[in-house]
Amino acid sequence: MRRQELTGYLFISPWLVGFLVFTLVPFVASIGLSFSRYDIVSSPLWVGLANYRELLTNDPLFWRSLRVTLTYAAVAVPVGLAAGISLALLLSLDVRGMSVYRTIFYLPSIVPVVATSVVFVWILNPNIGLVNGLLGLLGVEGPNWLGDPRFALPSLVLMGLWAVGGSMIIYLAGLKDIPVQLYEAAVIDGAGTWQRTWHITLPMLSPVIFFNLVMGVIGAFQYFAQAYIMTQGGPEDSTRFYALYLFSRAWQYLDMGYASAMAWILFLVIMALTALIYSTHRRWVHYGG
Amino acid sequence: MAAETESRPGRRRRLVAITVAALVLAGLIVVLAMPGPAPRRYPERQPVRFWHMWTAEWKGVVERIVQEFNESQDVYEVIPLSIPAQSADTKFLLAVAGGDPPDVMGQWNNIIPTWAENGLLVPLNRELMTPAEWDTFQRRAYPICKEIGVYKGDLYGVATGTNIWACYLRLDHLREAGLRLEDFPDTLEGLLEWGRQLQRSDSSGHLVRAGFLPDWYLMYCNGFGGGFYDWEANRVTIDTPGNLRALEFIDANNTALGKDRLQRFRAGLNWGSGIEWPFITGAFSITVDGQWRVEQLRNYAPTLEYATRPIPPPAGGKPHFGWANGNFMIVPRGARQPRGAWEFIKFWSGLTHPERAATYATWGGWLPLTPDVANAPVYREYVAKYPQFQTFLAVMDSPNVHPTPPVPYQNFLMARIGRAEEKVWFGRRTPAQSLAELAAEVDRELTRRKELGYAD
Repeated sequence: MRRQELTGYLFISPWLVGFLVFTLVPFVASIGLSFSRYDIVSSPLWVGLANYRELLTNDPLFWRSLRVTLTYAAVAVPVGLAAGISLALLLSLDVRGMSVYRTIFYLPSIVPVVATSVVFVWILNPNIGLVNGLLGLLGVEGPNWLGDPRFALPSLVLMGLWAVGGSMIIYLAGLKDIPVQLYEAAVIDGAGTWQRTWHITLPMLSPVIFFNLVMGVIGAFQYFAQAYIMTQGGPEDSTRFYALYLFSRAWQYLDMGYASAMAWILFLVIMALTALIYSTHRRWVHYGG
Repeated sequence: MAAETESRPGRRRRLVAITVAALVLAGLIVVLAMPGPAPRRYPERQPVRFWHMWTAEWKGVVERIVQEFNESQDVYEVIPLSIPAQSADTKFLLAVAGGDPPDVMGQWNNIIPTWAENGLLVPLNRELMTPAEWDTFQRRAYPICKEIGVYKGDLYGVATGTNIWACYLRLDHLREAGLRLEDFPDTLEGLLEWGRQLQRSDSSGHLVRAGFLPDWYLMYCNGFGGGFYDWEANRVTIDTPGNLRALEFIDANNTALGKDRLQRFRAGLNWGSGIEWPFITGAFSITVDGQWRVEQLRNYAPTLEYATRPIPPPAGGKPHFGWANGNFMIVPRGARQPRGAWEFIKFWSGLTHPERAATYATWGGWLPLTPDVANAPVYREYVAKYPQFQTFLAVMDSPNVHPTPPVPYQNFLMARIGRAEEKVWFGRRTPAQSLAELAAEVDRELTRRKELGYAD
């Protein structure tokens, strides 16, 4: 048994070493850095709670970025869940060529985020973009999607649906696991489509929804690349996401200690929200038997 | 017989093993077939690793200059490496932190005050320049090059090419509108009137050609007697009458032309270099752009008739004004060959041999470090051949052109100035309110920095 354990650890040792060196050590070090002034080259200078105090009491951009991120999470996560479930339900129908449709809807989620962002900058261009071109055909003059503070954040939320195929696949797998007898019994009892969906499909799918909800919230709070490429936090800080502001503080302003404090606050916020979601899961997540 | 009796799982395992082996082999072949780094041409010399951000046609020019340097002496070999501009700063910082930085880097971002303040850069005058070289720099370098490279009295970046902005005018558009170059307005207000005569809209009112759009706040502040730094008192200036006038002027013009209309027009333009530049495509009749466009026009639109003029001052304002930045060379702390780096910087910038540097400046269409380079015969020939370049040389020497304020929170300041402009653009604040808020925001940042123990 010991020999087996050793062999196992040996096999995972590359990952273990990588995890220790590139994740755990920086993770722990960043706790110390968050209580210091640090510019990446000089030795950290202890400043106590000053970074946290300044963040919470003297930095409106911190609050702004937190608000933007919370707003995004509050809208994008439910919209993504609803879109993913709806799409999975549609793609679980018994229709000819369904595997082709599934592939088509899944493909966008494996396109690199940088490529997607660059393409969407053009799709959402107010003058020559595809979206406004189509709206123009209907006689509607589309807005300046990314250049107007009222539309920039909603545009990013809508763009998020582009990659909904990733969660759709997980929902599809979940749908496959629902015992068909439940539906047969419901049909015999005279249940309609909506009743079957509401009383069988969604409850049986709830563990998968729960998983996607937690991952979605974590992902929303780490939202960075799209905003960095498409809007740089503008216009008027309407897309100043938390991670974007953290990046600016760390790499553009060389306030690594301050950025570390931001990272820890983000960590605590995510942990708190995840704990909150966990605390409710007994009420709405059903694990079948 | 054994093969026939082999179980299905056994066959599957064998298939997986063969597939994995084939993939590993294919990967090895690809890795081995990949071209390695080019062998060094002068392996016996001391290597000087040079990072820069130039790409496309500029990369070739830079590599030619490197080659000239390598052939000019037998101690150092400069090894150039083009780094993507978007990630260059991050890579540089990581390299310095990791103790393996390049020996010299070509930069153009706003980094000197922040990096110098944090000890990432070598103060060239203290550690690498001879007293005679430092004296030459102080006496001969254009004032704007000093403002770009000097921080708190020490030199951290030597400009190899300063960027100056001025008006480019399409002569075919002027003729079409019945305007004559000889009557070029002597005030900004007059140029706006020209712009109105030159602009064209389609049947639905969308702008299809802009006449002249003064909407770059940082560029215009100095002309209105404003600017974000008092270069004599060495302090940031924000909520000043000059800055307010500039913002009000820009806002009034944007409002008159229609902000939504302007935004849609601008969003459809490609501001990249080369043939897609809106001035070449005809989307602008008069535009404000940098001197490097002269060289690009020579390459991409050799038949296009155009002229350049300094941006005219607003009525009662300051002439030959503007904002400037530069391509400059820095030596990071921890460089292994700082001496070789400095030799290369001198070679390119022309601090000690202006004639040679003049040739390189003409290759890239760059504005030089000193008037000695500008007065070299080869540079004068270039300017005579492309008289549009003269405008930029004239503006470069003006006391009304300044770079970004040299403060360690420079990037923060620039980002917030941009946001202050946006507040006015979207009509959420008046120019006065926006500037007052900006001043308060910067004060807050300074308080924060003091609280964390920063010197300033």
